[in-house]
Amino acid sequence: MLVLSRQRDQSIIIGDNIVITIVDIRGDKVRLGIEAPTEIPVHRREVYDAIQRENLRASQLDPKDTRNLGTQNATGSASPPGS
Amino acid sequence: MHINTTRFGPIQIESGDVIHFAEGLLGLPSCRDWVLLADAENDSLAWMQSMDRPEIALGVVSPRRFVPSYQMRVARRELEPLRLDDVQAARVLIVVSKTERSITLNLKAPLVINLSRRLGRQVVTNGDLPVQYVLGSASPALRKSA
Repeated sequence: MLVLSRQRDQSIIIGDNIVITIVDIRGDKVRLGIEAPTEIPVHRREVYDAIQRENLRASQLDPKDTRNLGTQNATGSASPPGS
Repeated sequence: MHINTTRFGPIQIESGDVIHFAEGLLGLPSCRDWVLLADAENDSLAWMQSMDRPEIALGVVSPRRFVPSYQMRVARRELEPLRLDDVQAARVLIVVSKTERSITLNLKAPLVINLSRRLGRQVVTNGDLPVQYVLGSASPALRKSA
């Protein structure tokens, strides 16, 4: 991995059109400003990973799993939430 | 044209039925072309069937049907590739999944579709919405909208 030191208000540029700027540094938190073309998705890594996992899980859904869908909502919380 | 599907068998579709997701979906980047199919038994459910992979289909629902207070907060740039003339015309669909005992909804990353241009995109919403909202749990998870 390439590691660069930057100070507040300094940037790095990736390719011709992605600019990442250090906007603020407070304690262990860094705020980044990201300029990128709209066709390049930008995500927080943990959110990206969670959605990726969820899509893969969802793609295994079987029509018979959904028979009660729509009736469940009307009956309220019959089953406890949780995994 | 015909496509084969694992769940629904061979189905006949028109080329105008295809919805193109230029980036695929997260975790399914190669699945770019989809068709929206009604569920045979449940009118609150539809299926997004991948044209590229017969075994890939996502159950989808309208968010308002299950989470009446749902509001999609999303950065403008997330919607730009859809070339919507009117943001209100966007069709929002929530992906259904399940855990061992519950049906869950991915409120964090809905599918947004421009039906007139047949373009779709999975967007990542702002705020603290769950990727696994348990259907039937007491309160919708709209506690924070920062």
